[in-house]
Amino acid sequence: VKHWRDIVLAVLLLLPMLTLAQNGKGDRVEALRVAFINKHVRLTEQEAGRFWPVYNEYHDKLKLIKRELRQVYRRYHEQAGEEVLRDLYQAEQQSRRAELDVHTAYSEKIRGIIGYQKYLRLRVAEENFRRELLKTIREGAGQDD
Amino acid sequence: MIKAPRVYACLVLYLALSGTCRGQGAFDSLQGKMPRHYFRTVIGLDLYRKPEVSLDTSSKIGRKLGSFGMRQVYLSFSTPLVTKVFTGTDSSIKNTHLLLTGNFFSLRPVFGSLDRQHRLTRNSIGIRYIYNTGKKTVWFIDVSPFVTRDATYRSRGVLRMASTLLCSVNESPTFNWRFGITKSFIWGNRYYLPFIGLRVGRLDRVHFSLQFPRSLNLTIPAGPQLVFSLYSRPQGGVFYFSNQDSLYFRSGERGFHFTRYEICTGLRADVRLGDHFAFYISSGISSANNLFFFGNEANKAQRVSRYLSYFYRASLPGTLFINAGVVLTFGRTRSYFNDRNLYDATDLNAMVDNTGNPQLPLRPRKLRSDYNLESIEDLVEYAE
Repeated sequence: VKHWRDIVLAVLLLLPMLTLAQNGKGDRVEALRVAFINKHVRLTEQEAGRFWPVYNEYHDKLKLIKRELRQVYRRYHEQAGEEVLRDLYQAEQQSRRAELDVHTAYSEKIRGIIGYQKYLRLRVAEENFRRELLKTIREGAGQDD
Repeated sequence: MIKAPRVYACLVLYLALSGTCRGQGAFDSLQGKMPRHYFRTVIGLDLYRKPEVSLDTSSKIGRKLGSFGMRQVYLSFSTPLVTKVFTGTDSSIKNTHLLLTGNFFSLRPVFGSLDRQHRLTRNSIGIRYIYNTGKKTVWFIDVSPFVTRDATYRSRGVLRMASTLLCSVNESPTFNWRFGITKSFIWGNRYYLPFIGLRVGRLDRVHFSLQFPRSLNLTIPAGPQLVFSLYSRPQGGVFYFSNQDSLYFRSGERGFHFTRYEICTGLRADVRLGDHFAFYISSGISSANNLFFFGNEANKAQRVSRYLSYFYRASLPGTLFINAGVVLTFGRTRSYFNDRNLYDATDLNAMVDNTGNPQLPLRPRKLRSDYNLESIEDLVEYAE
């Protein structure tokens, strides 16, 4: 019994740390984006079965590239030497090329699964979701003031 | 053989953390790392208790035991080891997942008239393999060797094996059926049973699920953080029980097999507090309570099939029970929003350990203005 008490105690001690470290808001925004796209693209069940795994993979890769790009921008500072600036420039160019490669490859895959019309519906839905998100943030910021 | 639960606990924490670290992999020529796995490390702690009821004292053993109640603690984990992703010629994405699993179970059957109560343990480290074909089907294999012993009297361990082979077919997001075979001890004996499953309704919405021989569930999400379920499921097992109290009449026998099962029917509420922590509480009626004591010698010829010769049996009246637990999840995963096969794979993974399905994405209802900058940066074009 003593051993089990130790385990329970250890888990209970870990809980506050995990709760503090948790950050579920990112996933909730993602879930909203997915729900928004689902509603506006109007996929059939058969299309959805093939589309979502590919789209999730596409989105994961783009997300990674955008994070990389932000890291590049964060490393920039006014006093950086020529060598550092050249490295940052090359990293930025590499990210941009990777973004284009991923976009091209996955656009083709997605278009192959859902066709031209739904592909364009998808891009419009993504754009509209970003607008909605920004609008909501602006409204929230206004309320705080 | 590992003896102390403390060592197991260290192992669980090590695996949880190492699983998180290994969940990273290089992406193309860039420096950044994308999560490698679709499964997160899940640790569940489950507590169960029911009150004592009197046993029939017409038999000698019944008089020796007096009454029966139960307390149990169940710690489980699963962590991804290897994930492989393949793209089919039709752009469908297939993936295989190898997970390490562990179950550490401590049962305290409370027999009112025994001088010293027994604590029976069942510890297991196993392997789980899931193959998502990218079409409609998900294959599931679970192999879980375990050791049972009477910890109170430091008895010898008895090695056993539980396993399940399943094929799960997602006809649509709202309809799934499963078939397979399972070697299971939850019905209080060593049974080879067919596995037949049926689900109607989307996993992340109201759904009804019948998974013979494991459970019957009606799940009702009441928001992004709260899920109610009405359920009925068998619970039981086979444990090694020391014969220190001379319950078994054969002289020289150090122990025997204590088996039990019950059917728990109740209401459960799962509460998710963020991505890493959930807890649940449930209560209801425990019915079809049965205890059996099997002598090892009498059943020696029954190495593969179920035990047949028992020297004590008790059927008990129904009681109330209470069950509560916490579920911790660690690590980043690849996205699998609306991926019906991966939703199903996470459901299969959660089915074994009674942890709910903490990996199903939350379903927020509307946009809110307090999202953190990091998440929004990912979604809004940088230059916008």
